[in-house]
Amino acid sequence: MTVELFFQTVVNATYAASYMALIAVGFVLIFGVMGVVNFAHGELYMAGAYTVVALYAGVGLPFFVAVAAGLVFVGLLGLLMELALFRPLRDNPLGGLIASIGFLLILQTIAVLGFGVRMKNVPPSTQEKLVLMDGAVLTYQRLYVILAAVILLTALWFFLRKSKFGWALRACAQDREAAVLQGMSINQTARLAMFIGAALAGVAGALTAPLVSPTPFMGHSVIVTAFIIIIVGGLGSLEGAVLVAILYAFVHTFVTTLYDGTLANIVGLLLMLGVLIVKPTGLFGAKERA
Amino acid sequence: MTKFAMNRRDFLSTTAAVTVMAGVSMPKMSFAADKVVKIGFLAPLTGAVAAWGKPGLDGCKIWADWVNADGGVKIGDDAYKVEFVAYDDEYDPSKARTGAVKLIKEDDVKFIMMLGGDPWPGASPVAEKENMLFSTLLPSDLSPDTELLVAPCEVHPIYNVTGVEWLAENKPELKTAVVCAQDDSLGKPSVATYLAAFEAAGIEVLGDPIFFDPATTDFAPIMSKMLALKPDIICLDTCYADYVHPLTEQAFQQGFKGQMISCTADFYEKMVEKTSKEFMDGFIFQFPDFDDPAMNAEHINFQKPNDFYAEYVKRYGKGEWSAVSWEYASIMDLWANAAGRAGTTEPVKVLEAMKVGGTGKQAFGEAKWWGKELFGIDNALVGQWPVVAIDKDGKARIQDFKSIPAWWDKHKDLLIKHMKALNQMYYQRS
Repeated sequence: MTVELFFQTVVNATYAASYMALIAVGFVLIFGVMGVVNFAHGELYMAGAYTVVALYAGVGLPFFVAVAAGLVFVGLLGLLMELALFRPLRDNPLGGLIASIGFLLILQTIAVLGFGVRMKNVPPSTQEKLVLMDGAVLTYQRLYVILAAVILLTALWFFLRKSKFGWALRACAQDREAAVLQGMSINQTARLAMFIGAALAGVAGALTAPLVSPTPFMGHSVIVTAFIIIIVGGLGSLEGAVLVAILYAFVHTFVTTLYDGTLANIVGLLLMLGVLIVKPTGLFGAKERA
Repeated sequence: MTKFAMNRRDFLSTTAAVTVMAGVSMPKMSFAADKVVKIGFLAPLTGAVAAWGKPGLDGCKIWADWVNADGGVKIGDDAYKVEFVAYDDEYDPSKARTGAVKLIKEDDVKFIMMLGGDPWPGASPVAEKENMLFSTLLPSDLSPDTELLVAPCEVHPIYNVTGVEWLAENKPELKTAVVCAQDDSLGKPSVATYLAAFEAAGIEVLGDPIFFDPATTDFAPIMSKMLALKPDIICLDTCYADYVHPLTEQAFQQGFKGQMISCTADFYEKMVEKTSKEFMDGFIFQFPDFDDPAMNAEHINFQKPNDFYAEYVKRYGKGEWSAVSWEYASIMDLWANAAGRAGTTEPVKVLEAMKVGGTGKQAFGEAKWWGKELFGIDNALVGQWPVVAIDKDGKARIQDFKSIPAWWDKHKDLLIKHMKALNQMYYQRS
């Protein structure tokens, strides 16, 4: 591997880690607080991308306005899911899971009806790029994703640890009944978790829309990766999700570059299998929950 | 004066009587085509491969409208209106099997057009059992066991040799290439063909061909790997549109300055939009827009190509034209001609009429039924094929028509060698 290829691969992996972390952290947050595996999380990512298709590529709004709209819109979709699906099924996690599969299909169908089955073209908001050491290239479009991940995940970390709402979220994630006995509102924390978790997926989809050419079925691949990340990181661990997203992205990208993508997928699954054997709770699962 | 009044019952009975009388007494309107022949369209209409199914169905609708407006297809003493019955196989063999059964048993179709590739093994047993004539766009589906399967329009991937041949003749300074493709039944024979074409042209292929997982969504690592080899040419093989676009975009973003070649460049205007006219200038592929002036040449057999393109754009939009928009319609030209000569829609008779004399009218000119050495059966119609390049204004233009049989006569050993190496000969495929 040449030095140039090494640095380019690091850049590629950093981008991949960033959007994976945004998706996986949202997924973990929802699971941690709600106790529900949200199978529609990939479709929330897709909904964010299609918001940009509609508002930026379609209507012509500025890219970052469309991204912000994607964040809010998908956050509101999360609220809708909490209200219509997960709240009535709060004591039935399996029911919530199945309801989320139904919601997944509804979102896909809406995307197909509204935008067709084929990939949508989203022009890049800029073609500027940074040429880093030894010729490695980082486009601004990818840089936006990296910066958004750093800023949003740092903000989330502070929110969870320094604010009253954040404490409530963490308390509900640790022990819902004890949190209720302390006077915390389950409905309020559930709404907050769904909004933040969904919005993170939405902003990831919105920011990557010009890079991936959205299709109604784009959520499939990211949900599989998100599952691997949260299982290896430890169900409910935000720090675990971030660190494993970085680890997974680097391993996957380097193996893809040096060998091939199929082998990289196998390595990712072996990584999950190995962690489950050695530490069934995941790398960070036992230490801390959201 | 008596007041005229009509209640609801009177109104209905009077209307019914008038309608019946009109039906009996009016001279009977005679349509040129009272009878209908149904044609099956079994191809991916959704999913990643839909770009090579759905636009073809759209083209067939134009074909049917034009033919039916003209009185239909004359078969024997009757004129038949043509009706297409579509089934979405989602590029899935099991769905292709279900679709084939449904089209034959329930819809009574007389001919089925497929994209081919992965779904063909699903439909193949049905074709054999029901004695139904099928067509494919991918002659790599052909084998001695598939007598009722024909590839009458395109000989994918063999025509890809023409692009490389043209490149070698017109840009002799290009000496090295890298090749990538998705790891599937469409990618592999195409890689073998490009390897043979590059070898024949004296262009060195750097490293092994890169086969990527069809589930890949981030193409940056693949492009980084290719660019690290410093090639003059990046060959995108027969990647699906969903891969050609991000791969091209990655090549642009990572600073590639050389030549790109691909089997297809569907919806290339969007690639130009995502990169630049300068970057896409000279991008070579194999499928022309039919508004190209070169499509009016005398050897072209496709009916009114410019009008067809204009109608297609009018109905479906400018950016919707793809490699297959005209192909299934072109196959219908051949089928209708053969059925007319056979005087029947009976599949075996139509096939016999199609192959009379060992030649046929392929869209781009006279062609011959060929394929024995490569597919074990002469069921592929092969002749000239266009080489297309995107010009400095971002518009695809035909550069030349080159002969596939002429290349084959000179270099067939190379193609067979590479097909064998990738287990793509008909007797190697499972």
